[in-house]
This record gives sequence, C-alpha cells and structure tokens, in this order.
Amino acid sequence: MLRFLVRRLLGAVITLLIISAVTFMLFYAVPRDPARIACGKLCTPETLELIRHNMGIADPMPVQFWHWLSGIFLGREYPGFGNCDAPCLGYSFVNREPVLATILDRFPTTFSLFLGSSVVFLVFGVGAGMLAARKQGKATDKVASSASLVASSMQIYFVGTLALYLFVYQWQILDQPGYTPFSENPGQWFAGLLLPWLILALIFTANYTRMTRSQMVEQLNEDYVRTARAKGLSGPNVFFRFAWRGAMGPIVTIFGIDMGVLLGGGMITEKTFSIQGIGMLAVKSATNNDLPMLLGVMVVTASFVVLANIVVDACYALIDPRIRLA
Amino acid sequence: MSFSRRNFLIATGVVAASSSVLSACSSGDTTNNTGGGGKQEAAKANATVVKIGTAEDSKGPAPEVSGAKKGGTVYLLNDDDFSHLDPQRIYYAWNSLAAMVISRTLTNYKIADDGSMTLVGDLATDTGTMKDGGKTWSFTLKDGIKWEDGSDITVDDVRHGIERCFANFVTEGAFYVQTWLTGSAEYRKSYPGPYGGKHLKSIETSGKTITFRLSEARPDFNYVLAMHSYAPTPVKKDTKQDYDKKPVSSGPYKIKSHVTDKSMTLVRNEHWDPATDPIRNAYPDQFDFTFGIEQLTAIDRLLADAGKDQYATSWRTIPQERIQKAQTEAKDRVFEQLGNGVSCYWINTSRVKDKAVREALIKAWPTAGIRQLLGGKVRGDYATGIMSPLVAGYESQDVWGKLAKPEGDPKAAKEILKKAGKSGYKVVYAYQQDPQQAKIKVVIENALKAAGFEVVTKGIDSTTWYDQIGKLDNEFDVYWGGWSSDWPTGYSVFQPLFDSKNVVDQGQNYSHLKDPAIDAAIKAATAETDQDKANKMWAALDKQVTETGAFIPDVYMRRIYMHGSKLGNVKMDPNFDGSMLYKMYVKS
Repeated sequence: MLRFLVRRLLGAVITLLIISAVTFMLFYAVPRDPARIACGKLCTPETLELIRHNMGIADPMPVQFWHWLSGIFLGREYPGFGNCDAPCLGYSFVNREPVLATILDRFPTTFSLFLGSSVVFLVFGVGAGMLAARKQGKATDKVASSASLVASSMQIYFVGTLALYLFVYQWQILDQPGYTPFSENPGQWFAGLLLPWLILALIFTANYTRMTRSQMVEQLNEDYVRTARAKGLSGPNVFFRFAWRGAMGPIVTIFGIDMGVLLGGGMITEKTFSIQGIGMLAVKSATNNDLPMLLGVMVVTASFVVLANIVVDACYALIDPRIRLA
Repeated sequence: MSFSRRNFLIATGVVAASSSVLSACSSGDTTNNTGGGGKQEAAKANATVVKIGTAEDSKGPAPEVSGAKKGGTVYLLNDDDFSHLDPQRIYYAWNSLAAMVISRTLTNYKIADDGSMTLVGDLATDTGTMKDGGKTWSFTLKDGIKWEDGSDITVDDVRHGIERCFANFVTEGAFYVQTWLTGSAEYRKSYPGPYGGKHLKSIETSGKTITFRLSEARPDFNYVLAMHSYAPTPVKKDTKQDYDKKPVSSGPYKIKSHVTDKSMTLVRNEHWDPATDPIRNAYPDQFDFTFGIEQLTAIDRLLADAGKDQYATSWRTIPQERIQKAQTEAKDRVFEQLGNGVSCYWINTSRVKDKAVREALIKAWPTAGIRQLLGGKVRGDYATGIMSPLVAGYESQDVWGKLAKPEGDPKAAKEILKKAGKSGYKVVYAYQQDPQQAKIKVVIENALKAAGFEVVTKGIDSTTWYDQIGKLDNEFDVYWGGWSSDWPTGYSVFQPLFDSKNVVDQGQNYSHLKDPAIDAAIKAATAETDQDKANKMWAALDKQVTETGAFIPDVYMRRIYMHGSKLGNVKMDPNFDGSMLYKMYVKS
C-alpha cells in the first residue's frame, strides 16, 4: 500500500507540474501583454510598470515559470505590493493579495458545500438506487428511475433560481443562502447552506440513483450472489454483504471524480446562490482577467482531482478484496 | 498634467452591467424617450447648489435627521469589493463611499436634505485661509479629533498622509496636490515620499496649523483637499502597502474585519466625537458588507424584503428588468437621482477640422435612440453641455437645439454638409466591442447615413478602450466618453478636457481641441479668487466649449437605487453617486 501511495503521489506531482506549465504557458504566452491584462481597466502607467517589473515580463518564459515554481518552495517578494510567503502560488495584482491566501480563505466554503451535498446525494442517490434494484420492475423502481431521469436533466441555474424565488423570496421558509463558519455558528452554517446542498444534491442524486440501480441489478444477477442465496444466506445479508459491496467500485470511481470537481468549486452553484467559494473566485478571476489568481485556482483544482483519484484507487482495495494494489 | 474619471468609470460600469438585457425589455418608465420636445426640467430641478461654509458651519454635531435613532445593523449587498481603503490610494467613487465613514479629511461636504452641498471644515476648523491669490493655504485642526486608538490626529499625520502620496506604492490616488506642491507633473523626481525621513519643503506645520505653499494659484484648493487621497494617515501606524488592508479610522466607524471580495464589517469607533463632526450622523451601530452578490440577485432580495434584507441596501443601480417592478411594488423604497457623470461623444478635432462637419454630426446624432436602447429616462436627462448640473455654477443652455430634437435632425445635418461642400463625408466611428454597444453602433450608423455621411465603424476591445482612444494619433473621428468632476467646480471639468496642454498621448483632452480662446478662459476662471465670479465664468465656458463642436452632448446620467423597508433616510451622495452610510438609520 505504501509503495502504491508513494508511486501515485510522485505521478501526481509530475501531472501537476505538466498542468501548471501548460496553464502558465497558455496564460502568459498570449499575444497580449499579460501585465496590461493583470492591471485591469483602472490601470495607471505607474501601476502597470510596477506589475511588469513584478511579473518579470522582460525575462524569457521558462525563467518566468521557474520563478513562479520556485516561489512555491521559497516564497517571493513583490516590491510595491507585498510579500508572498512560501508556499507562494503567485500574487494577485487585482486583489493585492497572495493567491494562496485567497484560495485558502474560500476553501472552507467550497468544502462545506461539497460535504453537505455529498452526504445528501450519497444517502438519497445510493439509497434510491438500492431500493429501485431491490424492487426491480415494480412501481418503486419505476418512480425512482423516472424521477432520476427528470432530475438529471435539470440545470442548477434554473432549479436553483426557481427554488430561491419560491422558498426564500416568496414563501420565506428557508434562509437566504450564505456561508457562516461552522465554528462560529453551526446553526447558521446549516441553515445558510441547506438550499444549495439540496439543489446541488438534486442534480447529483439522479446520477447516483441510476448508477447504483444498474450496478446492483448487475451484481444481483452474478453467480456468486446466486451461490450465496443457494447456501441459505438471508436476503438482506446477500443484498448488503455481497451485491452492494460488489456494486460499490464504479460508484466510488464516480464519487472520486465528483469530489475533485466539487472541491475545485461548484461554479454555477456558487454563482446561483452568491456563495463565495473557489468556484466564484474562478469566475471572478476570469472576469477580472486576474491571471495569477486564475492560474492558482487551476493548479489547486487540478490537485484536488488528482488527489481524489489517488484516494479512490486506494479505496478500491478496501472495498473489494479481489483487488490488490501492486 | 492628466486628470481622471473617477465617478464616470463607475457610472458607465453600472450602465454596462445593467443593460445586457435591455433590448429585451421595455421599461414602463419611458416618458420622453423618443420624439422631439424633450425638456431639461429634470436636470434643472436637480441642479445642486454648492457653497463654501463658514467656521460656524464647520462645527459639529451634524443636524439631526428627523425620526432617526441610533442602533441596529445595516447590510450592504454588493457585487464588488472596494478596490482600496488606504485613503491615499482612493480615487474612485465607490471607495470614497466607504471612506466617508472611516477617513475624515481637512474639508468635506455637508449635504442638506435637498441635496445642496456646503464645503465645511471636517478635521479643520474652517475651509482654510487663502493668501497670495490662492498660492498659500492654511488650515487649523479642531480640538478633540482622534484616531481609533484614542491618539490625537495631528498636523504631522495630515502632512504624512499627503507625503505618502509620493511613495512608489501609491499609484492609484489623485495627483493634483502633489503636482502643485512640487511644481512638476513628475513629482516623484522632486520628492520620493516620507520614508527616507525627509519632509516636503512646501508644507509647513506649527502647533495645530498646517500651511501649504503651492507652485500655482489654486483658489479652489480647499475643495481638492476634500478628496480622500489627501486624508491624514497616522505616522506611527503607517504599515505602507499593508495599510490598504486595515487603515486606521478617524471617522465614526472602524474596520472590524475585511476579507477581500467576500465581506467587511464596520463597527463604531468609540473615539470619534460627534461634537467635532458637522457632516456625519452615524446612526447604525454596524455595517455588514457582503460582496459577490449579483446585481439582479441583490435587487430581488431587496424586493422580497425578508429577514435581514429589510435592513439592507445596495450601491448598484436597479437593473432595467426590475425597474418597473421596483417602482410598482416598492415605490417608497426606490430613490432616483441625478449623478455627476456626463456622457458624451468626442469628436476628434485633429481629424474633423471643419466645424461645419462637426455641427452636422451633432445635429444628426440620434441621442434619443441611444438613450432608449440604454433604458430610457432612467439612463439620464438629455445633456446640452459637458458641465454637470451638480457642478457649482451650472447654467442651462442649448447651443445646438438638441432638446427640441433629441432624436436627431438628418435634414438639417444634410443641409449643413451640402452647404459646406462635404456631402458624403467619411466618418470613422469607434465603439467598444460588446453586445450593447454593437446595437448602439447600428442606430448611430443609420442616423449618420440618413444625414449624408459615409460611415466606417471600428470595434475596439473594451479592456483597452481608454488606451486606444487616448492615443494622440488614433484613427477615429467620433468615440464615446464622458466625465465626472473630481470636485464640484468647473476647473476639474474644463482644464483636463479642453486645455490644449492636455492634447498629449493618453491625455484627457479626448477631442484634441486646441483653442487659444478656451485656454485663456480656463486660465482666467482658474485664477479668479471670488468663487461666485469663477462659477459664472465656468458656466460661460460650458457654452463656449459646446459651441466649438468638440463633442456631442449625450446625457446627464441618472441613478436609481432601492433599500429595505427597515431603513430610513437612505439618500444619494451627489459627489460619489451612492447612498450615504453616515446619514441612514435603522427603523425600529
């Protein structure tokens, strides 16, 4: 297991290095002056000169990338703006802040959004899928399958806006979505995120219901399940100990991908509910042409996806004893 | 010397943000949108009186607002955070809205219920003493003025604030005073800032009095010092570039917490003494700002008026698609007012040299059609000059008869062109490449073609718009622009926009007008020490520059805001085009 993890982590570092190099090149090798872009609309010649100097525009591209990369381990100074302690992912000349500090500030919001919505869509999605598989061909199955089909065709910006209008503005039965740190007020944390959780989960639940149902149906028809039944094991025992465990592999894989995506920021969800997480930060950075921030968000987001995949691979061995990590 | 457009960028930003769906909307508030006969009564009615107050006017406390009481929290729903809170780095209006309750200045404006403004001493006992025809100015600090840590605000702090403007990290603030104190537009070469231990020779301090010796006569210097760029900064608490994150307060509120682009909380500064402050009432206990809220979402929340949102307001104008609903369902919570931005279209006089052609362009211009596309009457009142009705001395005039025919007069334009032998004149119109401007371009193109012009349109990336039109050798004949004055006297309108010295690369004289008569008039009005006389001279200059045909007047821009039902006395600051935090109160 240890060898596996070390090998995967090394691979992850290389992957991230390639991603950051490509992203850096794409952002900074554009025909337009990246310093002028970073300076924004309200740019003075003096600010532009300071940004040019700090970005090292006069240096060749590989040198610029090397400065950015070495800043992760050594930190960097940005004269006229401020210091960026290691690990430094760059400095936002729009926000006037180190990139990582802003990302870390937004992370608890995005993590809370991921956590709550994951609980909801895993419980309801996997639960409904199992129920549909158990009651295969019956009304429950048909209702669950149809509902998931409808839900999976929904879009967050539509359902979210509608739910906001009805539950918050019109009927006023739910709180205005927002983020309060859990440590500050758990009640407000829950109330402020409840609607985004439910809406985000609604979309994701559908996928998990369909995936779980199909996997469970497949597993329930496997020989080893029939054998277990023939040996006289009880129905629930066969269902949960054998079939469910066998069906978990693909579901964990999908969850791993979703985890990476959600931790990287649910842009549309955060935008719909005006929640300031990593997704909103990415949108704002793109809108403001804040390239250093966008680069930082890209690298962090990519890290989540890569790490989530490592976790998923490691989980396979725990879920399914047939898989050995060589 | 170059000037900037602090409010105007905000104004235009608001318009751009609110008009993305304008084409699909038809506001109910579209009276006087098209057709002739548009009157200028609204602009006249909103014209703000600006006067200079006495020492008595400068004494606190501020007049009580009827029915107001202390306490409660006000919630601000905004999409953008403040770009700067370090006073020396504040130039743009929305930053000043917050700075008004954090950073006091030597002088500032006492705003009456009717919107009229009186320049008074804020930290100073009065509006200053002028000598040498405006080259020497002295201000004496009031007693009892303190920083948030309880220490006294001293003349050293005032001097330090101004000297910080020279530091290399302060690149965003205003630069008028630096230029006048050193006599050079390249003021950093004369003085590098206070961090080397040296002070400016042109500022003298003695006891509680600070004296400025300027290189040129500036009779309206006391207006300029109301800008937050020239607010004091405590010498002992200056954290240089980090000061932007947590400036020390001299006003009624201090920053409790601020997370960039996310939130900010202001709480009471217990060391602020209302007896020293003639301007600010400071009724609420706290202000909670939430950033990142879409304009439409913010207005929907204010319309729903539920929970905490009853105590909320926004500095964003109501988007076009909600104006009718807001005016119908929440009439008593909507307030509309003239802002200080003036929109216009510059005519490049270095290319369009024939005045008859410029006159034909102005006559043909479809002002009403453009305004209709941008939301109708709420966009603004038809402008007839470049001087805002909110600038001291404004006088109504209509040189080109645009109020009678705001939709344009192609027949008259055609006639002028024909008479000048310029029929079929080729006009290059530059516009910002966005969906809204693309629609406007079509309206303009059609109107000019109907008047006998040949039209060439050139789209420009909006992020480099000012860079492109600021080029001295730009290849455009007509381009959109406008202005907001930095302080409400004519100098900050006419000197930057029409002084021939500013016909330079990236200068603010966008029309490239070089007219000795205009230069002389600007010089004369600038030197006039009697402010009433000076105001009259600026008003005459408004007519004079309009007659040159260097620009096509568009609109005096308007603002429309709303607030929650539990807020009282929410009014717009005529200087900064946003609601005044220090005058509103929370209803019980």
